[in-house]
Amino acid sequence: MKTWHWIALGILTVISLVLEFVFLADYDSHWWNAIPGFYIYWGFLSCVVIIYVSKWLGKLFIFRSEEYYDR
Amino acid sequence: MIVDLLLMPAVIVILGAFVLPLIPEKLRSPAFLLFPLAALGVLWQLPDGYSLTVPFGSYELTPVFVDSLSRIFGTIFAMIAVIGGIYAFHLKDLGQQTSALVYGGGALGVTFAGDWFSLFIFWELMAVSSTYLIWARRTQETNEAGLRYLLVHIFGGGLLFSGILWHISQTGSITVESLPDAYTFSSVLILLGVAINSAIPPLHAWLADAYPKATVTGAVFMSAFTTKSAVYVLVRVFPGWDILIWFGVAMALYGVVYAVLANDIRQILAYHIISQVGYMVAGVGIGTEMALNGTTAHAFSHILYKSLLFMGAGAVLYSTGKSKLTELGGFASKMKAVVFLYMIGAFSISGFPLFNGFISKSMVVSSAGEAHLEVVMLLLILASVGTFLHTGLKLPYFTWFGESKSDITVGPIPFNMLVAMGIGAFFCTLFGVYPALLYQYLPYPVEYKPYTIYHLVEMIQILVFTYIGFWILRKKLEGDPKIALDTDWFYRKPAPTVRKLFVNVPNAVYGWFEDTVLGIARFLSEQFKNPMTWLNPFTSKENRAAGYSPAMEVVMSFVLLGFLIFAAVYFL
Repeated sequence: MKTWHWIALGILTVISLVLEFVFLADYDSHWWNAIPGFYIYWGFLSCVVIIYVSKWLGKLFIFRSEEYYDR
Repeated sequence: MIVDLLLMPAVIVILGAFVLPLIPEKLRSPAFLLFPLAALGVLWQLPDGYSLTVPFGSYELTPVFVDSLSRIFGTIFAMIAVIGGIYAFHLKDLGQQTSALVYGGGALGVTFAGDWFSLFIFWELMAVSSTYLIWARRTQETNEAGLRYLLVHIFGGGLLFSGILWHISQTGSITVESLPDAYTFSSVLILLGVAINSAIPPLHAWLADAYPKATVTGAVFMSAFTTKSAVYVLVRVFPGWDILIWFGVAMALYGVVYAVLANDIRQILAYHIISQVGYMVAGVGIGTEMALNGTTAHAFSHILYKSLLFMGAGAVLYSTGKSKLTELGGFASKMKAVVFLYMIGAFSISGFPLFNGFISKSMVVSSAGEAHLEVVMLLLILASVGTFLHTGLKLPYFTWFGESKSDITVGPIPFNMLVAMGIGAFFCTLFGVYPALLYQYLPYPVEYKPYTIYHLVEMIQILVFTYIGFWILRKKLEGDPKIALDTDWFYRKPAPTVRKLFVNVPNAVYGWFEDTVLGIARFLSEQFKNPMTWLNPFTSKENRAAGYSPAMEVVMSFVLLGFLIFAAVYFL
C-alpha cells in the first residue's frame, strides 16, 4: 500500500469519527453504541479472529492434500 | 384452461427447452433470452392474488399463485435467467441451454406454486436439470461430482415429499402456507428437505462440492436458483421459526471460515453463498415484517451480485483455464474490464454504500437489532467483515494482483460475457443508489432507511479497518494447495466401503447362487440327455438324443412335460 492509501484511509476514519460524535444521538439502542468508535475495534478484531481461527481449524483437522478423495 | 396453463411463467420457460432444439443453431442463443423475458412480462401482467386452479383427482391444484412475495422472487429469477443467457450467448451447447431453461422454469414454478404437489414437481425438475450443468464439462471429476449432487438432491426431495404426504394426510390441506412453529414429523421432514436446498450446515456440502465444478456459464445459473428458491419456501412456510436464527448465524460464520481455507476461486464464492444465505435464514427465523422484508431484499440483491461475481470468476477460468489462487496472480492489466465489473460485485456483497448489499444486508442485521437479538447482530456483522475480507480483498488480490504464481496465458473473453457482467453491475448499483425501486415491491410496507449517518459511520469504520487488517495479515491469506474437508466427507470417504458392503458383497453372493444353480442344471441336463446310457453303458456318450434343433427340443420337452402333468393328475 502506498503512503497516500494510508492517508486516505486515515481521513475516512477521521470523517467517520467526526460524524459519529457530531450527529450520533443514539446511545441507547445497543450497549455498544456508548463505546466511541466501536465498529473500528469490532471490524479489526473480527478480521484478525476470522483469519487466525480459520487457519487454526484448518491445520487442526480440515486441510488435506488435493488427492485425498482419489486415494 | 390449456391456454392459462401454457401461459404460466414456469411453463413458458420450460417450453423454451422444447422449442430450442427445433430452431437453427445460430438462432438458439437469442431465442433463449425470449422465454425468460416473456415469463417476466407475464408475471407482471398477473394481478396480486391471482391464482390458477386445476382439478387433479380429488384435489384442486394451484400451479400459479401470485402475491408480492412470489412476484419479487419470480422477477429476479426471470431476470437472472436473461442475464445468464447473455453470459452464455457464445455457447453452442444445446444440452446446457435446454437444461438451463428447465432449471429456470423450475425455480419460477416453485416460486409461484400454490400447492405442495406443484411445488414438489418443479423442485425435482430443478434438481435434475441443474445436474447437467455440472456433467456438461465431461471430465471424470465432474461426472462424479454431478452424481453426488444429484443423489443429495434426490435424497432432499425424498425428505420433502415424505413431509408433504405426511402433512397432507394430517391436515388434508395441500396449500403452501406458513406452518406453526412446532416440531411435528411432517414439518420437520419438510424443513429438512428445504434445508438441504438452502445449504444449511451440516446439509450444505453439496454446494461447495458441485458449484466449483460446474461449467463456466452453468455456475451462474446455479448460484441463483437452487438456494434462493429454497429461501423463498422458508419465507413462505417457516417464518418465525426460532431455530432458524441460530442456524442462519452458524451458516453465515461457517461459510466465512471455509472461505479462508478454500483455494479454488469459485469455491470461495460458493462458501460465500452459504454465508450470505445465512443472513436470509436468520431473517426468516427472526420473522418480523422487517426481517422478512430484509430476507427478500437480500435474496434479490444477492442473486444480482453473486451471479456477477461468478461471472467474473468464470471469465478468469474461461480465459486462463485456471481457477486456483495458487496458480493465478499478476494479470489484472490484461483483463481490466472483468476486474472492474467484478469489484462492483465485490463492493455490493461487502455492503459498500451506494451498492445493493448496503440496502439489503443491513436490513436483516438491523432487524436482529430491533428484535433485541444483540449477539445475533454482532455475529452477523462479524460475518460481513469476513465477506469483505474474502470476496472483496483476498480473492481479487491473489487472483489478479499480487505476484504471478505460474505461467498464465490470458485468452480473449467473448464480448457477451462482459455485456452480461455490465448489466449485473448496473443493477447492483441502481438498487444501491435508489433503494425505493426495490423496497416498494417487498412483501410488507418498508419503513427502513439505509442511508442514515449512523449506518454510514458503521460501514466506513468496519470496511476501513477490515482493509487494514487484511493488509497486515495478507500473507496468512495466500492460497494453500490443499482441500478443506467438509461434511461431504461423511458420504465421500466411506463410499468405497459402502459400495463393497452393499454392492460387491450381495453381487458375489447372488453370483455364487447363480453359478451353483446353473451348474446343477447343466449336470442334470447332461445326465438326462440320453437316459439310455444308464441302461446300456456301451451306448456312446456322445450320442445326442437326436439331431433335433433346439426349438424342436423345447417343443418336445413341453409335450413331454404336459404328458407327465396329465398323467400325474389322472393317476392321483
